[in-house]
Amino acid sequence: MNLTSVPLLDVLRERMSWLSARQNVLSQNVANADTPGYSAVDLKPVDFQKVLEQSTEPAAFQGGLTVADPRHIATTSNSSSGYQSAAAGDDAIDQTGNTVSVEEEMMKVADTQAQYQAATNIYAKAISMMRTAIDSGH
Amino acid sequence: MDLATSMLVAASGMRAQSTRMRTIAENIANANSSAPTAGADPYRRKVATINSTFDRELNASVAEAGKPVQDMSDFRTQYDPGNPVADAKGYVKLPNVNSLVEIMDMREAQASYEANVNVLDASKTMMSRTIDLLTK
Repeated sequence: MNLTSVPLLDVLRERMSWLSARQNVLSQNVANADTPGYSAVDLKPVDFQKVLEQSTEPAAFQGGLTVADPRHIATTSNSSSGYQSAAAGDDAIDQTGNTVSVEEEMMKVADTQAQYQAATNIYAKAISMMRTAIDSGH
Repeated sequence: MDLATSMLVAASGMRAQSTRMRTIAENIANANSSAPTAGADPYRRKVATINSTFDRELNASVAEAGKPVQDMSDFRTQYDPGNPVADAKGYVKLPNVNSLVEIMDMREAQASYEANVNVLDASKTMMSRTIDLLTK
């Protein structure tokens, strides 16, 4: 058993990598807030319910290679890259065709940060609960 | 690394805004500079430009300050017959800089700069949260 195969930690890891990818997209929007013709983008929300179901069902396809021989080592998929992006819902088009609304971006950045903080806190709590379980064994 | 990339993108925005600020400062400093010789043109207002370029290394669109373009609107004139660079009718050509416009532009650049600082700060906090997991 490795730590990444623990369902809760796996989902949290996925969540954190999605949030940092989103932060990356938001930083591009803010940096280009004064670029003529630039359109604001945002990441499409990932259905984390589905991610959770996938990671709790061991038989479900995980994207890695199937082990056909006991001497093989199973590979795990790298599903963290390639989130889909879409035009953001901001409707602040200025006369240069730029659709970035800095206020909206600031809200999204704060939201992303708070959710990331929540994810890391839950991660730390999960680890400490595991440690409690291990420590109570003696 | 995504968070490091966001910090670099935010830094590119800050750099572009500070270049814009430099152009604005040039305009304000030269708001009343007359021509060096009679008949010549005084300082011409510059307009800062910001472009978006795709950085292949970062795999992200970064902001970049472009070359400032010149504002081709008419110069202001002032009746000042005693001035050595005044024309035959006694008028002196002054730069086409409107201080109010420059101040508004400056405020805007400042606000955009602050927005980028906020993003940088948020990314930094997220990164340090991740590192903090090591100490738990």
